[in-house]
Parts: sequence; C-alpha cells; structure tokens
Amino acid sequence: MPGFVHSDFAPVVVAVAERCLRRGYGSAGVPAGVRTGIVLVSASGDLASARHVRATVEAGGRIGPLFFFQSVPNSVAGHLAARWNLRGPVVCLSPTGDPYTDGVAEADLLRDDGDADEVLLILIEQAPDKPTEAVAVLLGGGARP
Amino acid sequence: MVEARVAQLTGVYAVSALGRGADAQLTRVLAGVPAFGPVGRFDTAARRVTVAATLPEIATLTDELAVAIDAACRAAGLDRAQRTGCALLLAVHGGPPASGPAPAVLAGQLAARCGLSGHTRVYTSACVSASTAVADAAARITRGDVERVVVAAGYLVEADQFALFDAGRALAVDGAVRPFSAGRRGLLLGDGVAAVVLESSTGRRRGVEPVATVLGWGRAGDAFHPCQPEPGGTGLARAVGGALRRAGLPPESVGYVNANATGTAQSDAAEAAALRRALGEHADRVPVSSTKSVHGHALEASGLLELVVTALALRHGELPVNAGWLGPDDSCLLNVVRDRPHRTEATHALTLNAAFGGANTALLVGVG
Repeated sequence: MPGFVHSDFAPVVVAVAERCLRRGYGSAGVPAGVRTGIVLVSASGDLASARHVRATVEAGGRIGPLFFFQSVPNSVAGHLAARWNLRGPVVCLSPTGDPYTDGVAEADLLRDDGDADEVLLILIEQAPDKPTEAVAVLLGGGARP
Repeated sequence: MVEARVAQLTGVYAVSALGRGADAQLTRVLAGVPAFGPVGRFDTAARRVTVAATLPEIATLTDELAVAIDAACRAAGLDRAQRTGCALLLAVHGGPPASGPAPAVLAGQLAARCGLSGHTRVYTSACVSASTAVADAAARITRGDVERVVVAAGYLVEADQFALFDAGRALAVDGAVRPFSAGRRGLLLGDGVAAVVLESSTGRRRGVEPVATVLGWGRAGDAFHPCQPEPGGTGLARAVGGALRRAGLPPESVGYVNANATGTAQSDAAEAAALRRALGEHADRVPVSSTKSVHGHALEASGLLELVVTALALRHGELPVNAGWLGPDDSCLLNVVRDRPHRTEATHALTLNAAFGGANTALLVGVG
C-alpha cells in the first residue's frame, strides 16, 4: 500500500474492508447519497509501528516521516473513505468489553442519531507472536449480496 | 407537555499549560499569552522543533484524569452515591501506552477510582476523539438512554508523539501557532486533561446551574485522503450543518466559533472554506479564533479542552483572541478575534475539530 510502511496493520484493514464492500456493492461502489461511517475497533492499534517508533525514540534516532502519517488508526480509515467515497463519521475505539459488541453499539448510535446511513465496522488486532487478524462487517446498509 | 431532553454541562474541569482548573483556563485564554516554551520533560536534541505548551509539574495521565473527573463531578454537585451508574466516555491515544495502563484498563481504573459504575467506552479517533465522545454522550442523553455521562480526555506531551509530529514536519519551526494568519508555519503540541459532566435536567433539579447546554452536534467524513483535509471543507461543513439542524438554529445564531485551526497552511484554509460553506455570508461576520494558539494542540483531548474554554468564554461574555496573528491570508478571510478579547452578548458558539482520516466534528453550545 503506497504511503503505509513497516506494518501490516493498514494493509490488513484495507484487505478485509474492501472484500466486505465488494461483497456488499460489487464494482458499482457505495451509492451516491449514502453516508457510510467507519468504526474501527482495536485494542492493539498499529503495534508494529508503535514499537518501531518507541525503539527509535529511545535510541535517540529520527523517525521516517511516513510513520507520522500512519500514527493513528484514522489514517487507514481515511484511505478507505477516499477510495470508496465513505462520507460518514470516522470513529476509532479501544474496546472495553467484547470488541464486536462495542463496535456494533457505536455503529447503532451513529445510525440512530442520523450521521450515518450505514457503518463499516472493522475489528483488527495485531500481536507480536501471531498473524494480524481482522474482520469487517457492513451494518445497516441497503447492500445486497 | 413533556419537556424536550437536553444535554447540559453541569460540571467542567481542565488542566493545560495555562494552569489548573476551569478558572485558570478562562483567565489565561483571555489574557491571550501563548504558553509555549522549551520542553524539559524529555530530550528534544534530535528534533527540529523543541517547544510545546507543557505544565512544569505534572502527575501521571492516570492521576491527572482521576483528579479531573473528581473535580468535574464535584463541580456538578455529584457525591459518590450520585455517580453510581454514570457512564464514562474516555478519549486518549490508542495502542500500547508509553507508560501506564492500556486504554481499556485505564478506563476501568478511572471508573472504579471515581465511583462511576456505568458503561465505559474509549475513543481513539485522534484529534476528534473527545468531541466525538461528547457528541455520543449528548445523543444518548437526549434520546433517553442515560441521565448522566462523564466525558474525560487526556494527552500529556510525550516523546513518541512529539517525535512523530516533528518527523512529519507538522510542528511550527518559529515556535508560535498562528491560526488563519499569513505566515503560519504549523502546530505546536500542548498538555490537555479535561473532564465534563453531561446530564439531562437532573442537574437543575439538584440546584446546580449548568455551565452551558450542548444543543447540537455533528460528525462527518471528508472521503478525501488519509491525512489531508478536503480543501473545500465539505465534510466539516456537513458536521456544522448537523449541529445547527439538531439545535434547530440558523447560522446567524452562532455568535462565536472556536475553530479547529491548528496553524497549518492547508488545514486552516479548508476550515475557512467549511465555515463559508456552512454559514454563508455570516462567515464574514462571526468572530472566530483558535485557542490552540495559546494552549497548543492537545490531540485526543483537544475537543474537550476547547469545549470547556468555549463554554466558559461564552458564559463570561468575552471571546478569546487568536494569538500569533501576523496578518490576513487570502485563503482564510474570516473575522478573526485579534489584539484583545472581544466582548459579546452572544448566547451560542460552535467548537470545531478535525482529524486525520478526514474526520470532522462540530459541537454547538448555548448559555443563558
């Protein structure tokens, strides 16, 4: 993925999200007028990038500028939003309970409150000793398989 | 007739480089003297920029947040028993912390320490984390899900984020934040810890006079770029439109805008475009300033610190200056408050925030 380095956090988010959106909308994309929000839930965040930054700073070194641009999970959400014209709110959460339950509750609130017509919910966790895992679900939209 | 549910700010507290407590924020933000100085908290020798707005004496983020939550609850007249069942929405940086507990653990610890036994949620949406939490809290209160929510947010300037912003050449090399001004060079980071109690009219029934009411809110995305704002400000304008619509107010009712403006070239221009798009000709008249010019950018906490400052200034009747002003910029032709605070009888104000990912929020507060 151009603009994202060192970590598989952003590429895995994009992979699951785009599979989800393609299943929902095919090549036509999200219909005009539909405001799709993004709720990204992750306890780890981009662990690989954060650890690289920490080690570099502790060693007194300089960080590559691309790490700034990927320093928050909003960035990959913005990448998805730009590619798929997702114009709803962008909300990132660190789960305090079951991640899916937390994410669905936030998605429901955004839809009920009227700022989103549907929500792309993404759950992602990165660990040092196992593959990065992610799930994407489109909630509340008019999409058909 | 059933009274419409509203979300009132019944207790507020904040800490920044301007000082400790709500009164210190108001006094120092109206003084308009930027709080930036050399960073002594960590080594900045390898950085291009070496200044930020930091408090000289600071506890851990956990302890600062606990103090802030307790103080906001006390200001709202809530004893420990009255905090039972109260939800806590927390806005902090996500991922592995440089020190202290992970965000979810932090939320649990704070809730237990402060006697808040309701639901917890942690927002890690960069610079709209706290304002999104406030919008969600107001939505849940006004639709009747809950009576009372504490929103807390914190960012204390630390080495990792400082190094990242420095690497991204986002920090102002001239050591000043100059929102909407010609010659602006970027942002500077600042400490920010804040807590507010939002509740329905239960506060008034306890005899507590609300600081302000959150009358409207909006959240919208740019769908433009991972980290640059849409130059036309369409996403932020939709957020402002949402806030006005929920409040049932026209653009002309807005008497002040505490802008997101970070002092960054393209972001401030996009925000000026958004204000023009959302407020029409009123954008020529409404007083605008960005208090980041004095307290710096508190990242995840910025939305809550700025909400507190905005509500207090509106209630006090004086609008804070936009420090660092050098001269007008054709891409930001707004009625910027400069030189001295602007006396006002306005009763409604907007506070705006925007973040990476094209995330935008608008909060509309009212007093009186």
